[in-house]
Amino acid sequence: MNRKSFLWQSGGGLGGVALSHLLAQNSHGKSASDLNGGLHHPAKVKRVIQLFMNGGASPMDTFDFKPELARLHGQKTGPDNTPEGFTGKPGAILKSPFEFKQYGQSGQWVSSVFPHQAKHVDDMAFLMAMRTKTNVHGPAAYMMNSGFLLPGFPCLGAWTSYALGNLTDNLPTFVVLPDGRGLPYNERGTFSSGFLPPIHQGTVIKSNSKSPVPHLFASKQFSFATSDSEREGLSLLKKINQSHAAEHPQDSRLESRIRAYELAAKMQLSAPEAFDLSSEPKHIHQAYGTDKAVTEDFGRRCLLARRLCERGTRFVQVWSGPQGNKNNWDNHGSISKELAPIAAAVDKPIAALLQDLKQRGLLEDTLLVWTTEFGRTPFAQGADGRDHNGGTFVTWMAGAGIKAGTSYGQSDDLAFQTAEGTTYCYDLHATILHLMGINHEKLTVRQNGIDRRLTDVHGHIVHDILS
Amino acid sequence: MPFRVLILSLLSISAQADDLFSSQVLPILKDNCYECHSHEADKMKGGLTLDSRSGWANGGDSGPTIIPGKPENSLLITAIRHEDSDYEMPPKKKLSDDEIAIITNWIKRGAPDPRDTQAKKIDTNWWSLRPLNAVKPPISGHPIDAFIEEKLTQNNLNFAPPANRTALARRLFVDLHGVLPTPEEISTYVEDQNPQATKQLVNHLLASPRYGERWARHWLDTIHFADSHGCEHDQKRPHAWRFRDYVIERLNADVSWDNFIKEQLAPDVFYPNEPQLAAGLGFIAAGPLELSRAGTAKHTFDYLDRDDIVTQTMSAFASTTANCARCHNHKFDPVSQEDYFALQAVFSGVGKGDIEFEPSQELKTKRHHLQSLLSAATNKDYSQLTQDRYQPLIQSWISTHRKNNAFWHPLTLETFSSSGGASLTRQDDGSLLAHGHLPDQENYTLTTSLPLKKITALRLDVLEDDRHPKGGPGRAENGNFHLSEVSLKWFPPNAGTPVSLKISRASADFDQEKWTSAQAIDGNLESGWAIYPKVDQSHHIVLELEEDFDVIPGGKLAITLKQLHPPKHIIGRFKLSATDAEDATARPFSTDVINGLAKTADERTKNEQLAISAIALKDYAQEALSKLPPKHTVYGVSNFWSHAKKLAPYPPKPVRLLRRGDIDKPQQEVGPGALSSLRHLPGRFPLDDPNHEPARRAALADWLSHPENPLTWRSIVNRVWHYHFGQGLTNTPNDLGRMGSIPSHPELLDWLAIWFRDQAKGSLKALHKLILTSKTWQQSSLSSAHKVDSTNQLLSHMRRQRLGAGAFRDSLLHLSGKLEFTMGGPGIEQFVKSAGHQGSKKLEYENFDWNSAQAARRSIYRVVWRGIPDPFMEALDFPDLGLLTPKRTSSVSSLQSLALFNNNFVLHSSQWLSDRAKKEHQDLESQIHRLIELLWLRPPNVKEQTLFKTYAQQHGLSALCRILINSNEFLFIE
Repeated sequence: MNRKSFLWQSGGGLGGVALSHLLAQNSHGKSASDLNGGLHHPAKVKRVIQLFMNGGASPMDTFDFKPELARLHGQKTGPDNTPEGFTGKPGAILKSPFEFKQYGQSGQWVSSVFPHQAKHVDDMAFLMAMRTKTNVHGPAAYMMNSGFLLPGFPCLGAWTSYALGNLTDNLPTFVVLPDGRGLPYNERGTFSSGFLPPIHQGTVIKSNSKSPVPHLFASKQFSFATSDSEREGLSLLKKINQSHAAEHPQDSRLESRIRAYELAAKMQLSAPEAFDLSSEPKHIHQAYGTDKAVTEDFGRRCLLARRLCERGTRFVQVWSGPQGNKNNWDNHGSISKELAPIAAAVDKPIAALLQDLKQRGLLEDTLLVWTTEFGRTPFAQGADGRDHNGGTFVTWMAGAGIKAGTSYGQSDDLAFQTAEGTTYCYDLHATILHLMGINHEKLTVRQNGIDRRLTDVHGHIVHDILS
Repeated sequence: MPFRVLILSLLSISAQADDLFSSQVLPILKDNCYECHSHEADKMKGGLTLDSRSGWANGGDSGPTIIPGKPENSLLITAIRHEDSDYEMPPKKKLSDDEIAIITNWIKRGAPDPRDTQAKKIDTNWWSLRPLNAVKPPISGHPIDAFIEEKLTQNNLNFAPPANRTALARRLFVDLHGVLPTPEEISTYVEDQNPQATKQLVNHLLASPRYGERWARHWLDTIHFADSHGCEHDQKRPHAWRFRDYVIERLNADVSWDNFIKEQLAPDVFYPNEPQLAAGLGFIAAGPLELSRAGTAKHTFDYLDRDDIVTQTMSAFASTTANCARCHNHKFDPVSQEDYFALQAVFSGVGKGDIEFEPSQELKTKRHHLQSLLSAATNKDYSQLTQDRYQPLIQSWISTHRKNNAFWHPLTLETFSSSGGASLTRQDDGSLLAHGHLPDQENYTLTTSLPLKKITALRLDVLEDDRHPKGGPGRAENGNFHLSEVSLKWFPPNAGTPVSLKISRASADFDQEKWTSAQAIDGNLESGWAIYPKVDQSHHIVLELEEDFDVIPGGKLAITLKQLHPPKHIIGRFKLSATDAEDATARPFSTDVINGLAKTADERTKNEQLAISAIALKDYAQEALSKLPPKHTVYGVSNFWSHAKKLAPYPPKPVRLLRRGDIDKPQQEVGPGALSSLRHLPGRFPLDDPNHEPARRAALADWLSHPENPLTWRSIVNRVWHYHFGQGLTNTPNDLGRMGSIPSHPELLDWLAIWFRDQAKGSLKALHKLILTSKTWQQSSLSSAHKVDSTNQLLSHMRRQRLGAGAFRDSLLHLSGKLEFTMGGPGIEQFVKSAGHQGSKKLEYENFDWNSAQAARRSIYRVVWRGIPDPFMEALDFPDLGLLTPKRTSSVSSLQSLALFNNNFVLHSSQWLSDRAKKEHQDLESQIHRLIELLWLRPPNVKEQTLFKTYAQQHGLSALCRILINSNEFLFIE
C-alpha cells in the first residue's frame, strides 16, 4: 500500500496530514499557506468551540422576545390534537415568566436568565429563525450535529477533522466535553465519525478525571508500567518495528505506526498540562465560575475548552445537560423552575469564555457557536412547561469572520414557526465550513452509493452574518 | 389509403412539434432554468426539475408546473412573467417577452416534450444487473488462479512466491477462526511434507465451531446488529443474543446462502417445521430503534424505521443502494422511487420487539398437544377426554384423589346484592358476574347454605373474564380490584342470634406488592388484597376460620366483600367454596367431581365422569407443561409489535409513495415488491391475500434468493472475497451500482457467482475452500510490484492485514492460555454498569475486572451497547453499529497507539503472557524465547534475544510483553 492511497484510506488523520494538505498540493496548485489552513479557499476560522444546550433551549424565554405571548397568555389557540412529535396536547398560550430587555448597540433582546451573555450581544450574530425537521430529541440532536436524522453519519467535528486535520500533535483534534451528569441524547452516537475512520470521532473527555484523555497513561495497578520501562520500552519498540519495516518494505502503514507512537508520547507529555486548570489564576476561575457550585461543572469545561483551543485542538464541543428531561434544557415541567437554574449554570461561564477568547486574541481565528437541537412551543405543557418544537429556535455565533451585532431571520409572533430568513442545520454547517475554508458542496465521501456531504443536498452560506 | 395518410400526418405533426421544442423551447430552458432545476446540475430547487417531461408534470413543492394546453394555469408562466413576487423565475433576470411568448405558445400547443421517452427509460445495462456471465477460466488449473494469472500476465506481473507454512498457518487461523494459533497448534502442519496439508488444515479449521464465531462477526457488522436500541432511549435488548447465536450456528452448519436469506426474512413461511429458525427474524430487527420517535411521531417512525430495514436488507443481500430512491428515483441506478416504497411495503406489517419461539419441532409438538389437551379439559370436550389413551391417567388420578378427600365444595349463592348498584348475574359455572354500573365503592352481600357438616375455611375465587378491562378479574381500568375486608356472619335456623365467624388467616395465590391477602382481614378499610400486575388470570384467597364451625342444617352464612379503596377497584367475577379439611390444602372441586369421586365408575353419571376426566387431564397437562423447557425469545419482528408496543396482530399498514421523501406529501399507495429492473424477476409481488403479512417477506426472500438474481450471487461471493483478501473484487461490497467501484476481475466474479450457486449449492464452506486453496491466496505478502499496481488490484501478492479488534483480544487471551471456548448464551458485559438516563445505563469500560469470569470469553459474545461502544475496540476499528459496515477501516493514529500501550486489557495480557512463560520455563532466556515463539511464531534471533534480555532484566517480563504486543510483527498478518 503506498503512502497516498493509505492516507486516503485512513482519512489522513495522522500527523496533521489531512485532506487539505493533499488537495492543496494535488489539485489546486495552491500551497497550504495560501489557504491559511483552508481546504478550498482561505480559512478565517481555525478552530471552533460549540456550546450545545441539550434538550431544546426555549427561544422565547431566552433571546426571542415575543410580546404577543403576553397579550394572548392563557388563550387556547394551538392545535386540538397532539401533533406528530409533540409529547402531549398543546395547552394555552404561555407568556415567558422572564423579563426581557434590549442590550448593546445592536439592541438584541435578552431575557433575565442570561444577564452575563447580555453584555456581549454586540459580539454575537444571531440566527433567529432556525428550523429542524423533527420534534424528537435523538434525531434532532443527530441533525444539528451530522445533518441527518438517522444515526451513522459523521458529525461536524468529525468532518472538520477529516477535512483539515489537526493543528497540533499534542492533543486530540476533536474533543467532546459532556455534562458531568451524563452523556447527551444518542450518547456517543452524536459525536460519531460515522463512516469516516474512528480517528475523527469526538474524543470524549471527562473533565474531572485524572486521565482525561482515554488511555493516556497506564493504570497504577500495573507496577511494571514504570516511566523508565515505558521510555526504554518505546525505544525498544521503535527498534523492532523499524527492523520489521525494513524487512517488509513499501508498506507505509508500518512506518505510520512507528510515527504514531512518537506522537502518542508527545501527547503524554503535553496533554496533562492542558487539562490541569490549577495553573489558571484566581480571577480566571472566578470569571468562569469554577468557584461556585452552580457554575462549577460548565465553567470548568468552558475554561478547558479555551485551554485546548489555545493549544491546538481544532474542535471542542461543550454540552450543557445530560439526556433525559432533568437538569437540562428539556423543560416540559416548568419554564420558570427548570430553565432558570440550567441557564444560570451556563450564563456566566459562556460570557467569561467569550471575554477570555477575545482578550487573548483567540477570537481572531476561533469561532464560538451557541446552539441547541430545537425550540419549544408557545403553548403551555402542564402548568408552565413547554413541549418540543422544531418550528423555530435560536443559534448565535461569535468570533472570526462573524459580523458582530447582527441577527438574521425572524420567527412568527409566537415563536412557533420561522417567519423569514429560515435557516436549517445545513445552512449553519455550510457557514461554519465556509469560515474554515471548506466548500460544503465539495467536501464529500462516497459511501454506499452516495457522495455524502455534511449538508446532504442542501445548505446556503448565511452571508448576512458574515463580516 | 386514408388510414396510412392519417398516420403519416400524425407523425409529421409530432415531428414538427419536436422541432419547435428542440429548436426554440429547450435552449431557453437550458440557458435559464437548468442551473437550478436539472439532474446535470445536480440541483432540484423547490423539488422541481425541468429536464424531463415527468419533471415538470410532477412539478415541485407547489405542484405541477405546466398544465399542457393551459398556459394561464401553469405555474411556470406565472413565474416567468414575474406575476407573483414569491415566484419570480429566473430570479436574477427576467426572460425577454419573445422568450416568454415561445414558452406560452408551446404550452398552449399541449407542451409536446420529446424528452419523455428518454426520461422514462431506465438504463439497466450495468454490469451488476446483467445476467451472470457463464465464462470459462482462461487456462486450466485452479480456476481462481487462472483468472488472476491472466490479468497479471497482461500486465507483465507474476504471482509472488508462496508464503511459508508458518505464515500461511497464521493467516489461516486468523482468517477462519479470528484467533492466532500457538506454536503447538501449527507444528504438525508446518512439518507436514504432504502437499495436501494446507487443504487438510483448511478443512480442519472449517469444521471447528470457532469458524462460525469468527464469520458471524462479519455478518453482524454488515447488518449493524447490536444489543441495545441506540439513539435516545438506548435500552438494552436482553434477547438480541439469540440472533447472534443463530448466525454462529447456521454458519457452522453451513446453511446454503439462499436458505440463509429465507431463514432471516421469513422462517415462519419457509420452515414451519423448524420453529427454532424463528431466531433468524433477529435480522430484520438488527438495526437501531428510535424509541422516542416511536412514542411521539408514529407516522414518521414507521417510514424511517422501515427505511433502515430496507436499506439493511438490500445492502446486505443484494449490494444495492435502494435507499437512495427514497426522495426521488435513484440518480444512478435503475431503482425507481416506487420500487423503494414497494420494498417498504414488504415490511409494513411488522414491528420490532421480543418474540417467543419453540426451541425445536419436538417441543413444539409436545407443547401443542398438551395445550390442546388443556383446552379440551377446560372446555370439557367429550370426544377428546374419552379417548382410550387418557383412561390410565384418569384412573390413576381418581385413585389418588379418593384417598385424599379434602375438597373445596362449591357454595351456591342464594341471595346476592350490590350496595353500589351494579348488576350481579349468575354464570353457568355458578360464579357471579358484575356488570352494568361501576360504583366507586362496593359491598357484595351474599348468602348461602353450607353443604357440609362442618367448615374450616372458605375460599373466594376471582375469575378472569374478557368482558372486564384487561381481562379482569377486577373492573378497574387496569383489570385490578382491591378487596378491603371480608366478614362472615352465621344466621342459625329459626331466627336464632346471628354469630360472627372470625377469620384467623388469609392467604392468596398471589399478592400485589404492598396489597397482601392479610390486609383483607386486618380490620383496616383502607388496606386490602389486590393482584396487579397479574391481571388477565384468575386468583383465589383462602380464609381460614379461627375455630372449626359446626354447621346446623337450615342456617345461612352471610358473606360481605367490602371493596372501598381506591375507587372502582371492584371484583368483576367470583365464586365461593368451603371445606371441612383440617389443613386447608383442599382443592376446589365442582359438585360433580366430589360426588363422582364418592361413587364407583358404574355409578357415576356421565356429567360426573366428564368432570373428573376434565380435571384429571387438566392436572396432567398443567404439570407436564410446567416441566417442559421454556420457549426461547429473540429480539425480532412480528405483526403484533408496532412502535415498540405489543398489540393485537394487525394487517400490514398501507405504504404510500412520499413525494421527495416528505411525510407530508403522500401519493399513491404502493404494494409490496422489489426492483423492477431485473430481467426474469417480477418487480411487484402478487399476493393472494394482501393482509397475509408473512407472504410479503417470503416474496422478497424468494426474489432475493432466486437463482436468476444476479445481484445476490455477485454480492455474496464478492463479500467473501473481501474478507479473505482484505478487498473485494469490487471494493464496495454494499454497492454494485454505478456509484460503486468497477470489479477488477469481472469474469472471475461471475464465474465465482455461478460456481457458488450451481456447483457449491450456496455452501460458504465450499467457497472458502476454493479460495483458500488457490495459489492466489497462498502467495507471500512480499512483493516488488508496487510501482505497476500500487493498490494491488491485480493481486500480485497477498495483502498484509492488521488484526481486527476482536481477533486482537481473542488472540491475546488464547496465547495467554486464558481463552474460554464456551459458546453462546446471553451476552457478557465487559464494563461496569450503573444507573443511567432514559432506560440506558452508565457504562465504565475502564473499570471492568479483567480477572472476572466474564473476561475470558470470545469477543463475539460481548454485549455491544450501540450508543456507548467500547473505546478500546473502537480504537482498533470496531465499527459504529449505528451504520452498516460492509468493510472496516484500518486506521493508524496516536490515540490508537495510546490505547494499545495503556489499555487495561493489554496490560493484563502482558502479565498473563509473562506468567505463562515463567510457569513453563525457569530461566529468562527460555522465557523470552517462548514469548517470541507465542507472539511471532518464530524463535528470536541473537540480536533480539540480547535486546529483550537486557530490557527484561531491567523492567521485568511483563513490561517486555507489553512492548511485543505493540509490535507490528504481532499486529500484522502476512
